[in-house]
Amino acid sequence: MDKMYLVKKLYQAFVTIILVLIINFFLFRVMPGNPLSMIMRNPNASAEAIAKVKQLFGIDQPIYVQLWIYFKQLVQGDLGLSFMYKQPVIDVIAEKLIPTLLLVGVSTIIAIIAGVLIGIFAASRQGKKVDAFSLAFSLITYSMPTFWLGIMLIIFFSSTLNLFPTSGMVTAGKVFGNSLDHAIDVSKHLVLPALTLSLVLIGQFVLIMRNSLLEVLTEDYITTAKAKGFSEKLIMKRHALPNAMLPMVTIIAINLGFMIAGAIQIETVFSWPGLGRLMYEALNNRDYPLLQGIFLIVSVCVVLANLCADIIYGYLDPRINKKT
Amino acid sequence: MLKRGFSIMLIFTLMLGFIAVPMDKPNAAEPVTLKVGWTAEADSISPFIAYSISATEIFKLIYDPLVAFDNELNPVGRLAKSWQVSDDNLTWTFTLQEGVKWHDGEAFTAKDVKFTYELLQESGLGLYAGSLDGVTSIETPDDFTVVIKTDEPKANMLQMTTPILPEHIWKDIKMEELETWPNESPVGTGAFKFVENKAGEYIKLEKNDDYFYKKANVDNLLLILYANTDTMVQSLKIGEIDAAINLGAHHVKMLEKEADFDVVSTATHGFTELSINTWKDAKSKGNPLLKIKEVRQAMSYAIDKEKLINIAYGGQAAAGSTLIPPSLDFWHYKPTDEELRTYNPEKAKELLESAGFADQDGNGIREDEEGNELNFRFMVRSETSEEVRAGEMIASMFEEVGIGTKVEAVDDGLLGDRVYDNADFDLFIWGWGTDADPTTILNVMASDQIGSLSDSYYSNEEYDQLLDQQAKIIDQNERQKVVHEMQKILYDEAPYIILLYDNAIQAVNKTKWEGWKKVEGVYFFSFNHENYLDVKPVTAKEEPATDSGKSDAKGSAGEEKEESNSSSAPVILAVIAAAVILMGILIYRKKKKGISIDDDM
Repeated sequence: MDKMYLVKKLYQAFVTIILVLIINFFLFRVMPGNPLSMIMRNPNASAEAIAKVKQLFGIDQPIYVQLWIYFKQLVQGDLGLSFMYKQPVIDVIAEKLIPTLLLVGVSTIIAIIAGVLIGIFAASRQGKKVDAFSLAFSLITYSMPTFWLGIMLIIFFSSTLNLFPTSGMVTAGKVFGNSLDHAIDVSKHLVLPALTLSLVLIGQFVLIMRNSLLEVLTEDYITTAKAKGFSEKLIMKRHALPNAMLPMVTIIAINLGFMIAGAIQIETVFSWPGLGRLMYEALNNRDYPLLQGIFLIVSVCVVLANLCADIIYGYLDPRINKKT
Repeated sequence: MLKRGFSIMLIFTLMLGFIAVPMDKPNAAEPVTLKVGWTAEADSISPFIAYSISATEIFKLIYDPLVAFDNELNPVGRLAKSWQVSDDNLTWTFTLQEGVKWHDGEAFTAKDVKFTYELLQESGLGLYAGSLDGVTSIETPDDFTVVIKTDEPKANMLQMTTPILPEHIWKDIKMEELETWPNESPVGTGAFKFVENKAGEYIKLEKNDDYFYKKANVDNLLLILYANTDTMVQSLKIGEIDAAINLGAHHVKMLEKEADFDVVSTATHGFTELSINTWKDAKSKGNPLLKIKEVRQAMSYAIDKEKLINIAYGGQAAAGSTLIPPSLDFWHYKPTDEELRTYNPEKAKELLESAGFADQDGNGIREDEEGNELNFRFMVRSETSEEVRAGEMIASMFEEVGIGTKVEAVDDGLLGDRVYDNADFDLFIWGWGTDADPTTILNVMASDQIGSLSDSYYSNEEYDQLLDQQAKIIDQNERQKVVHEMQKILYDEAPYIILLYDNAIQAVNKTKWEGWKKVEGVYFFSFNHENYLDVKPVTAKEEPATDSGKSDAKGSAGEEKEESNSSSAPVILAVIAAAVILMGILIYRKKKKGISIDDDM
């Protein structure tokens, strides 16, 4: 891979993150709502107590000083103190990040694998019943309300079949003998939310994979390959698929970033202790430091996912490297 | 590639199978755990930080007050064994329980009481600080006597549920740290010891075997947080939890059909009100027409509360009238038939007419002679769909009598800001919860609370005087008369239109558990914690007790859903196999790109 290409992309990613940080900082502060009333819900608080709290959370300073302090602390790995939890933001986020990554990671992998497979399957049998069926399946799951789907799955798999727990990430209060039991417990709890999220995601992967593959299959070089007498399978695999995968990489990259924060509905239905719910709560409570922290993580995820996509592009499509 | 894809799916399905199958295996040796589902997490477990009602429920379980409430809401001694008050009603002497131990083994003494009260007073932080108003000195002549002096007779001395905290732990916390010190593992004297608090998931408590008052029948208590009530109901139905708090109106009918559950939907000690900006000060940014009493009264005639409750609240609430909810029936003032303003749009129109408001320009909104229209800004809280719907309904009810409104759904933060920014509002819907003692809620309408608790900016000298007066009357029957008089004034003046008394909707599993007792109509969030202590598993009737010594409360009933470990082996294998295969595929794919192997599909 071209080193310059990589360096340039990394530089762009870095600048994007810095810009996002600055915008986030001001974005939350122009929102209506006074954070002080949320930090101290004590209407009888004395002026000294208010001053003390303001100082503790750094909101007694002018806003540009606050921005400077924010960046200074950020460099030291300190994201500030959450107004709501009265704890370091980094600790609050760390606790919720892993559940979200687990849920989103597993669901995305399942959705990508299944989506790509079904897409190929449908495209290679275009116009047949299988194709129509896959299309219908994708459109239905894609447009299905997430909340409703989640509840339906709970009613079916938990209430009726009694196979999986309804909610949470672990059996509440259970003491685990070893980490394996813990892992099994988490897996059981993961099945339904991951299934719901995968179902919601599969649709778009199938549609894009199918369309992109169909488009590629009409290209001249495919006809040439056919004329050369290569087998259908070989043409599909060596000639069509690599090109058809390009739009998929884009859509996956875009999705990855958003899903970190966008699993709010799934997290709510299944009471999954993730970042999405935390963000909603933080927003409601005007918890600027926490919101900034979450947005930082999400921004970094989006930027990283795009960076990965760029790198994978270069790998899938050598022309991109050479252009730079 | 297709084939491999299918093999991955096959393995995944297999994994699911292994994970899913062995769920139930009752185990008699397991501890008895009561699992309660709720939807509102405690904002903190430090009494200096928390303001939520969920937090008070936890404090009740971990800590003890000096005096608690029995099931009839009479004060009964808890950490205080007995008490007496001097003839001038200014000196209270509490004799404390002896031999009480903190959860960490230290001895509880009078010093802890003095320390807690003084720390609360000095810091002014938290829910409990306000109830100590009027206390001037606290003395501890010996380890088990507390003498509390007040400057005026203190009527609510026995209605303070302030948790007593251990001095040996809290004395190390500096005053300026109190606002942020999380109290991560609280130590109390209460019925339950704190085990762990997983934010966003659950709080686990265990029985305090040395509890001096009444030992719990369960070994563990879990309060499990649900982000969604529909999921919570499913969880309750399949036995993952034994009780559910904060259910929705539509769950009542659903659960009433099930024989296993007892569902209650009872008015709580709270109300939802339409708050009206009545501030007389020139700084007020509200519409001055709202200062006219007849306009406010006309508004209350215009609202069809029954319809509101049936449509917006699924019928699960009671029509509101005066400030103190009827669930506190001793303090609640019931307006006479003459006083009561029920839905009567004609009466509303009449009142507005006589106050000089008529629709002269024919736009459907009445105005006075100078042309000032009865047109108001109306905020509802976007978080609560019921209140948003109620707001829309009220707006159309007002329209019928010629009052115009502009409904705006805002979040709590913005609503609070507007209300406290020199009363920059006209109308809004919100609610209050009340204590067992009426002072706190009556205080909301006091003139000196403007800029603080007051959110209708109401001010009335007579009311203020009565408020002071009632706080000093020790004879509760005498006090009741004053409290009733105050509510009568408020009802007539209508700074609040109490729309409804909210219902608490809770359900408990009565097939698995027995001993559920309602306090004031509810199982949870009542004024005491007796329920948590009394409830116990229904002892299985079919199974004859094998060991007579052990045939007590520790049945298997509560623990049906605990997984056993016997299923581990196949799952381990499946997980490892899947991981290895997945890794293999990834590595293989990577290599292939470089070497370019021919078709293998």
